[in-house]
Amino acid sequence: MNLYLNQIAAIVWKDFVTELKTRELLSAMFIFALLVILIFIFSINLSIVKASEVGPGILWVAFLFAGTIGLNRSFMLEKENDCLMGLMLVPADRTAIYFGKLISNLIFLSIMELFILPLFMIFFNIDLLPHLGPLLVVIFLGTLGFCALGTLLSSLSSNLKTREIMLPILLYPLLIPIIIGVVRMTGQILDGTELFDMMKWIGLTASFDIIYIGVSIMTIDHILEE
Amino acid sequence: MEPLENAIEVQHLGKAFGMLKAVNGISFELKQGAFLTIFGPNGAGKTTLIKILSGLTQPTTGTAKVAGFDVAEGHPEMRKEIGVISHATALYADLTPLENLMFFARMHGLDQPNDRALKAIDEVGLSPRRNDRIRTFSRGMLQRLSIARAVLHDPAILFLDEPFTGLDLHATNVLKGHLQKLHDRRRTILMTTHDIPCGLEMCDKVALQVQGKFAFLENIADVDQGQFESMYFDAVRDNQFAMGL
Repeated sequence: MNLYLNQIAAIVWKDFVTELKTRELLSAMFIFALLVILIFIFSINLSIVKASEVGPGILWVAFLFAGTIGLNRSFMLEKENDCLMGLMLVPADRTAIYFGKLISNLIFLSIMELFILPLFMIFFNIDLLPHLGPLLVVIFLGTLGFCALGTLLSSLSSNLKTREIMLPILLYPLLIPIIIGVVRMTGQILDGTELFDMMKWIGLTASFDIIYIGVSIMTIDHILEE
Repeated sequence: MEPLENAIEVQHLGKAFGMLKAVNGISFELKQGAFLTIFGPNGAGKTTLIKILSGLTQPTTGTAKVAGFDVAEGHPEMRKEIGVISHATALYADLTPLENLMFFARMHGLDQPNDRALKAIDEVGLSPRRNDRIRTFSRGMLQRLSIARAVLHDPAILFLDEPFTGLDLHATNVLKGHLQKLHDRRRTILMTTHDIPCGLEMCDKVALQVQGKFAFLENIADVDQGQFESMYFDAVRDNQFAMGL
């Protein structure tokens, strides 16, 4: 068990050191998310529509689109110089590789989201601070599901020539239950609803998180093998 | 681990990709400490054979045991006993040699990964560059670091897939020196190459793989280099003809 956790930590450490040196992933995701929000800001009239009604959808579109860039990059890193082969040759359970990549993706996406939230507050003139706790819980649940499925599918699509196209095509339809859940919950939080009053949505999102992680554990062995 | 007489045992091994039989009924045994060089034209299935033996891909027919483990079972313990060097370095371009080897040492669960990585870097003569990003390294330096990665955990069996590709004379000699050292330490080595003098110089056994099969497998003492060379060139010519080149 100790070796298993150490292997997961080693993968996360390796991804962090790489990102600290290149600064490619976080900057690309942040700029993309910011652009998505700016495009929506210029295209809607906030004096007519209520920010708390359109804001959650825009926020999650920005998170998901920017996150897809991160997921694509995640396994691209392993494909360069055939590093994935090197990983497959170490005495590690394949799920350790999956969890290592999942945690890396989760941390990178969460950092990007934490930078985007204040800008979202400013652009949409919404005070998120009174709702920050529940909002972070919802964002975590959504991001976890996105990364759980996204990590699996990015490992699958990394072997394809059309990986940049295939990942969103495979990912977004399967994410619909989670997207509906988190967008609804984000809207309700902005309207002042308590987290305890949204237990059905939380249950739905958390259930899909667990399902995606479970499916990944069961299939990653076959997906990583050529 | 109990020492086995045969490090590698292969029986009627086959791998098909649709209609194409990349490996077609190969059988051989390799004793502990032996060095087998496999020659063969492009597309003969040499890389596929190494991929099967290192557990990277599953055979469609036959069985193979490496260090006593059935390769089809994909046992993590088997991966402790093998090291693989291929065309690709399997190294992270934006990390330094030290970071790369520390990462792989941690993945292998080795004690004191920092010390092990430093020692391995020193052994391949890259200590002065240990803190530089490997993206700036030459092909020869990368191949030396790739050797360090493959032998970091001191495996009993080494698979080398055309390790001399793209190396200059100096880098080739450095690599040959490393392989000789490993052979002297009774590591079992299976290497594929197109470089006949290099391949014949170091091995105990030699094989010629053509269209997925071993057309020839002999102890090096029983091989006439001139005859083998002409057999190899005939195989390459026939292969090109068969492929319509």
